[in-house]
Amino acid sequence: MSGLRVAVPKGAIFEDALRALGGAGLPVGVLRENGRRLIYEANGTEFIISRPSDVPVFVEYGAADVGIVGKDVLEEQEPNVVELRDLGTGACRMILAAPAANAAEVEEAIDRAEVVRVATKFPRTARRYFEGRGRQAEVIALHGSIELAPLVGLADCIVDLTATGTTLRENDLVVFDEISTSTARVIANRGAYRLKNREISTLLDAMQPEGALRG
Amino acid sequence: MFGFREVVTPALEYAEVLEEPKLRDSSFKLFDPDNQMLLLRPEMTTPIARLAAQSLAGSPTPYRLSYALPVYRRSSVGRGQSAEFHQAGVEVVGSGSPAEDAGTIALLVDVLQTLGLHAPDDFAVVLGQSAFYGGFLRHAAPEAAPRILSALAAKDLVRVDELSRDLTAEVGAAVREIPRLVGPAADGSVLDEAARYAGGAAGGEAMAALENLREVLAHLDAHGCLGAAILDLGLIGRRDYYTGVVYEVYASGLGFTVANGGRYDNLLHRFGKDLPATGFAISLERLISILPHEEMSPLLVLAGESVEATRAANRLRSSGVPVLQLAEDLPPDDASRYARSVGAAWICYPASGDDDALKLARAESNGEFFLVTPDGVAGEVLS
Repeated sequence: MSGLRVAVPKGAIFEDALRALGGAGLPVGVLRENGRRLIYEANGTEFIISRPSDVPVFVEYGAADVGIVGKDVLEEQEPNVVELRDLGTGACRMILAAPAANAAEVEEAIDRAEVVRVATKFPRTARRYFEGRGRQAEVIALHGSIELAPLVGLADCIVDLTATGTTLRENDLVVFDEISTSTARVIANRGAYRLKNREISTLLDAMQPEGALRG
Repeated sequence: MFGFREVVTPALEYAEVLEEPKLRDSSFKLFDPDNQMLLLRPEMTTPIARLAAQSLAGSPTPYRLSYALPVYRRSSVGRGQSAEFHQAGVEVVGSGSPAEDAGTIALLVDVLQTLGLHAPDDFAVVLGQSAFYGGFLRHAAPEAAPRILSALAAKDLVRVDELSRDLTAEVGAAVREIPRLVGPAADGSVLDEAARYAGGAAGGEAMAALENLREVLAHLDAHGCLGAAILDLGLIGRRDYYTGVVYEVYASGLGFTVANGGRYDNLLHRFGKDLPATGFAISLERLISILPHEEMSPLLVLAGESVEATRAANRLRSSGVPVLQLAEDLPPDDASRYARSVGAAWICYPASGDDDALKLARAESNGEFFLVTPDGVAGEVLS
């Protein structure tokens, strides 16, 4: 039908992505089959399922025409893709947090321009944030369980994504700055956006949660 | 066909020659004995502009220059991309005419079609006019213009939408919709919609840009290549020096641009000359990756180190057959493997005991040999 290949992220925004694509009339039912397949085809649309952080890679290289991904991933990777629409779903915040016990101490260290150690899955975002404040930080890139790092002395503080704050509270971490907010975005490959513009525009128009805006 | 003269510029340029921060960051840098910083050129347009402003000063304009040279960029660590790649392109320096913009685009389309690519199925030239949206913004929303343009340069249309909400309803709608206008150049609706959105609030600069785009399209039509073009009024070019028409070539199945170009009327200011200019560069490595597979060439591998073999090779060449003489007495299996590795479709041996006959076979595995005269070989191989 649409002739597009769509990259869908696993994990937190998987359901939001399916709702948006399904709402636009794409046959997303096949993706809920819970199989182990990574590529699905239905009515002329192909879906690939990948890690959220890989979605921009597939789209930038043209291995997928469009994709759905959080703004947090786009800010971290700065891929060369066209960012077309804010779906408004999957809202979360990029925050700076430290253990409640020494939060004041860490904040003071940053204020005095001491070099603090920060653990994060988003090293470029973290570096840009500290540079923006005119501070230097030693950024330690981890792939998961970021909250653990300050509890065992690996880092003074963390830069991480949080939706509800539950994990932070459970690990006794307090937020002392919000770096940015993030929602799910529709992105497109630069070539596909032009060569398959009609198909992509049709998909976007059908997705329209912000219908009021276009008038 | 188009009257361009090929030029060569030095691989090393003084660092001041380049002002675009992204290009400078991606350049390899070195220092000369006076501690002046030099760059390995990361692109060709600026060196050509310098050459035109300095070395060609005095000769009559326009200069029509072409090149095919390597450029150098530091790729991101660990991505395994080549730091040296090749660009081929043309620049027309000293003419501001839309006919020259269209002429270079037509040449680009001609090059791609000559190589066996067909528009619009295999590729398209995506065409914009960087002065249209910029001109509209500077007139209708001067305060927000720099932020909106930098969001668009980052291709972040979501951010453009956000910024448009602070503007009046009419201007806001135009700010949101103009960069989303994309469609075939042959159908006039994109330009009509652009004119409608820009409406009364457009200002002279934007309307002049739109008129310029119409003229370029009229010339493209006359060149017979309007069908290869897609208009995109959100395309403003990724180099800061573009001032008018900008374009990028995309091929189906490749996520990156194959070629890009446009008009840069202010770049030669940097070198003390006031000359408008336009041109494009093709990334040769990317172009090669999308070319259709070529047919096997009519090359023939003649195996044998005897004098008879040499004589036979010579005779075949004089009858027009390209011959690679492999001066080794290889068995047929090895000879055909070698032939396939050099893209030759045929293998051939002198027939023992008969000066006027050759054993010929296709280079595919298990090709059957048959006896032919040297003139017969030409008939088989060149047909």
